[in-house]
Amino acid sequence: MWAKILNIVIGLYLIVAPSFFGYSPQASDNGHIIGPIIVTFSIISLWEATQGTRKWNYPFAVWLLLAPWILGYENNLAMVSDMLVGALVIVFSSFEQENKNRYGGGWASLWQKHPQHIQEVNKDEV
Amino acid sequence: MAKNESIDQIPPGWDYNPATWSQRIPIVILAFVGVIIATYLSLYQLDYIDTVWEPFFGDGSKTILNSKVSNVLPIPDAALGAIGYLVDAVTGVIGGTHRWKKMPWIVIVFGLAVGPLGFVSVLLVVFQPVLFSAWCTLCLGSAIISIAMIGPAMDEMLASLQYMQRAKRSEASTWKVFWGVQSEIEKVK
Repeated sequence: MWAKILNIVIGLYLIVAPSFFGYSPQASDNGHIIGPIIVTFSIISLWEATQGTRKWNYPFAVWLLLAPWILGYENNLAMVSDMLVGALVIVFSSFEQENKNRYGGGWASLWQKHPQHIQEVNKDEV
Repeated sequence: MAKNESIDQIPPGWDYNPATWSQRIPIVILAFVGVIIATYLSLYQLDYIDTVWEPFFGDGSKTILNSKVSNVLPIPDAALGAIGYLVDAVTGVIGGTHRWKKMPWIVIVFGLAVGPLGFVSVLLVVFQPVLFSAWCTLCLGSAIISIAMIGPAMDEMLASLQYMQRAKRSEASTWKVFWGVQSEIEKVK
């Protein structure tokens, strides 16, 4: 739970940092685009059945590591900040929380051959 | 009998029923708050009211609500949002506490309505600073509401999709099970 909340805080930081520190336009736009995305996926991942959504942050976090170089940030603070944030989001998105409830095998069950929910039905029959 | 019935409402391999009222009512309340905010904003966009409440960002709300993006469709974006929230609320209310198996269609429409609405509102949040260098407080509030609805709505969607998976592997007609035809539902294990 705490890792997801930290990701939400980091996403909010990405949104406000550009105006707070006076980033150049490329770095500003990048924070204003990636921030809301990270906040969104982290909020959705607060619930057990959708905690996998935290992993959707990975591509955006990797982008934060690369963006300063690809977009050519003019501001060193923006560069260091975005790369640090990218690394932190990768770390915090990796924490898997143990579910209190079972979900019949979860979303993965939908493309499994012998998903947990079908095994459960067959078990009851015997 | 009553006890068996309530156990019967827990999907196989689950520990709780995702379609109980205590699961659904919070989402429906959020959707109604969304209806109210979006209706208020669309009244401004349709010129029924002259000013809009904006405690933090000066003319931000006016800039956003009068922007080209918000009027790209025949009806203003807030009005579409209000309709979206209303669909969320209605599809959240319809059906009993076993609707994940008795009415898969309504659960799946509910999930589809909640999911995309949330993602559209994130897109609109991104547009605010990037395209218009402005923020709109109530628009942000509306976005947070629509995102907060996604997680709690999806467990019921998962239960229905797993149920459809079982329907597909049994003798029943997947199509009829989707629409909740009782005789076909009985064939699903």
